[in-house]
Amino acid sequence: MSEKIEIGPFHTELEESVYFKLEVDEHRMVEKVEIINGFIHRGMESLVTKKNFMQNLILTERVCSLCSNNHPMTYAMAVEKISGITIPLRAEALRVVADEVKRVASDMFNLSMLTHIAHTHELMKDTMNTREHMQDLKEVIWGNRMDMSSNLLTGTKYDLDDRKVKIILDTLDTVEPKIRDLKERYENDEELKTKTVGVGVLPLEDALEIGVTGPVARGSGINNDVRVMAPYGLYAYRPELQPNVTLSLRKEGDVHARAMARFGDILEAVRIIRDVVADMPEGDTYVDKRPHIPAGEAVVRTEAPRGELIYYLKTDGSQKPVRMRWKVPTFTNWEALKVMILGDKVDNVTMILNSIDPCISCTDR
Amino acid sequence: MSEVVPKLFRINTGSCNGCDVEFMPTILVEKFGVSTLGVEMVEDIKDANIIAITGPLTARSESFLKSAVGKIRHPYVVVGVGTCAVTCGIFRDSYAINGPTDKIVDVNVNVAGCPPRPQSIAEGIAKGIKVLNQVMNGEDIPKTIDTIFKDFSAPESFRGRMDLNPDMCTACRTCETVCPSTAIKITEIAQGHVHNIWHNSCCYCGNCAYFCPTGAIFSTNSFDTVKLQSEKFEDVNSEIIKPSDCSSCGDSYMPPSRGLLGKGYVHDDVKKLDTTICSKCRKEANFKRMYA
Amino acid sequence: MSIEEFNDAIKNKLFGDYELKEDVDHYGNSNSWIVLHDKRDMEVVAKAVKSFKGRCVVATGYLNEMDGTHTVIYHFDINGMIMNAQINTNDKTVISITPILRSADWAERELREMYDVEPVGHPTKDRLFLDYSIAKGVLNEYISLSKIQMGVSDTDVLWSQVNKGVKV
Ligand code: SF4
Ligand code: SF4
Ligand code: SF4
Repeated sequence: MSEKIEIGPFHTELEESVYFKLEVDEHRMVEKVEIINGFIHRGMESLVTKKNFMQNLILTERVCSLCSNNHPMTYAMAVEKISGITIPLRAEALRVVADEVKRVASDMFNLSMLTHIAHTHELMKDTMNTREHMQDLKEVIWGNRMDMSSNLLTGTKYDLDDRKVKIILDTLDTVEPKIRDLKERYENDEELKTKTVGVGVLPLEDALEIGVTGPVARGSGINNDVRVMAPYGLYAYRPELQPNVTLSLRKEGDVHARAMARFGDILEAVRIIRDVVADMPEGDTYVDKRPHIPAGEAVVRTEAPRGELIYYLKTDGSQKPVRMRWKVPTFTNWEALKVMILGDKVDNVTMILNSIDPCISCTDR
Repeated sequence: MSEVVPKLFRINTGSCNGCDVEFMPTILVEKFGVSTLGVEMVEDIKDANIIAITGPLTARSESFLKSAVGKIRHPYVVVGVGTCAVTCGIFRDSYAINGPTDKIVDVNVNVAGCPPRPQSIAEGIAKGIKVLNQVMNGEDIPKTIDTIFKDFSAPESFRGRMDLNPDMCTACRTCETVCPSTAIKITEIAQGHVHNIWHNSCCYCGNCAYFCPTGAIFSTNSFDTVKLQSEKFEDVNSEIIKPSDCSSCGDSYMPPSRGLLGKGYVHDDVKKLDTTICSKCRKEANFKRMYA
Repeated sequence: MSIEEFNDAIKNKLFGDYELKEDVDHYGNSNSWIVLHDKRDMEVVAKAVKSFKGRCVVATGYLNEMDGTHTVIYHFDINGMIMNAQINTNDKTVISITPILRSADWAERELREMYDVEPVGHPTKDRLFLDYSIAKGVLNEYISLSKIQMGVSDTDVLWSQVNKGVKV
């Protein structure tokens, strides 16, 4: 006897709206899965062609607030490529700092949602509270807890002085031991392990065929981190900054492995921020506040907290893009969900969904 | 008078997730004070009496939102969280957007911000509860409600409500051009220009302040953006930018700001420049100064 | 992986002419472009990508205002190298490469709903993101068929209410 079950589109355990239609057998194992997307489709690829290049610095930030630094940064990199502009080294450094701070906060949000859904309350509270330090940091340095507005075409809007560098370092000193402690607990907590080990498994072969990226790939043993495979910005100029991905790689491919892969990413991000601010290049933070953008096209990519982010931009010399298209990690990671969910318990569906750290707003656009 | 137990349910109608991500710490982190309000999070919208709605209402969400709120069989209040929920903000006028929310449901409290700080979301929930109690007890809903969480503060650097110094503004329209969510409108009138900033449409990005050539527009750290629906169209910063009469020829002209003059006359002491004459007369005066 | 290796893998198999160019950015990342002129050749390229264990990252479509044709660019990744393969279509169809590269699935479905360009042979017919209340091919419209075209944008409507309250 199979039973039909629906989850969504509005549900307390779903951060974003999505609609699952499932069929389960008498043991409540999922036999069939259909996922309906599009609830967050805002027509953004049309909107970006109606707004000018300055407005798009902010609109791209609103593709998704969790990777809201990667979008304008990658968009700016595409503009810079078309314009043939090399941005100052200091700006590259500032971009990395903003980006890695976002990565820590984003990954920690996902981990707190995992423990929230798993009902491991103490872990959830401690993760959320640790993340709050990063939120406070963003508000103090950049002015908002989610959207930093740090990028500018040809550089960055913000700069760091000694006082601000100290605030960043003090925050890292506070959070790093907490993160290490949390990592230990996630690794060993019996209750969490019971709920996550062996759940939502994505085998290596499927992971490769689907083309997953980011912590989802790393949880299944694949390293395709853009910062290492095709380094850009300061990661290209200073290879020693690139993350040591072996710290994030796992081979189990389950919910637990993906969570632990994120811990690897977080700790490397902390290390990267420290290394960058310890040796900030001198110089300007941008080339030109409002550069002229000639006709052209470019493809660029970066590593967002969830994996590979790629932008295509086509311009015609006017004030607005002719075409802009981007592919976010969840766009491809999504297909892996079906592999993970099929044959698993229906009660695990929201947790499995959370384990790919889905960014539906990024995906639906 | 009886107190109602507030039961909260959140609906995402197509948000960029910023508002929803900030909603979680608002509920789960002690310091934001929601636990002091006695709020219960419910799993089924049928049980809820406070509905927090985020997002600009996408086409696909519309029918689901209608049927979701249609299930509630008792009085409830709606708190719109984020600029998107209030005015569709930066996504307005896309083919895929059917909002703002108040086209479909009656909204009671609006929380502008992009995303709003958890402190503001908490304030929105608190005001929502107040309205709910008034509704349940058959009282009139006032036009405004005073701030409930009085102890919250924001760092200096927080990008809050925008403000304008009309003496420095030259109505050059740069801010209007770079504003991504049409929160600024500059209109010409007989006495000069009106410069309006509508906080409910603002996504608090700071683009206007960053690109303004004179520094006239700037962000304050005020997060006082939680207002009742009746205030929706009134929460506007409105200033008149007056032209001056030229002390030399008497024509009316838009005086350049000192900031802008400083850029044009890099070698001169700006304070000593005569800023009470129009640009035509200044050119003439300069010409005479150099060649006469 | 080098562009020469890739060229060797396809050059004797392609049906039509093609142009190949390599572009290396100032970070040193390779970004190659291949312009195809025979639709069948996208399958040849896809098979080559598959043989190198590459994947389809995404595809971009756009309308050429001048002649009403569509350009479709598939962006592939082969071991860190980006390969952009471009084809033009004047009858709003391309040959689906999803049967060869599963990673092209969503990209092609989007091509269908956003530009009304049909990936012939694609296994799925369902809409992906675009609600059924909106006609497919929305991105073909230079100004989308929204309220703007009918003369009243939401921005105008809302601001007129703001202006009513503003006292000057
Ligand atoms: S108001 Fe801002 S943060 Fe909130 S959903 Fe809209 S764009 Fe995102
Ligand atoms: S605020 Fe600044 S940018 Fe805006 S019109 Fe005034 S001077 Fe120009
Ligand atoms: S901060 Fe300024 S530019 Fe940004 S939305 Fe508000 S008014 Fe517009």
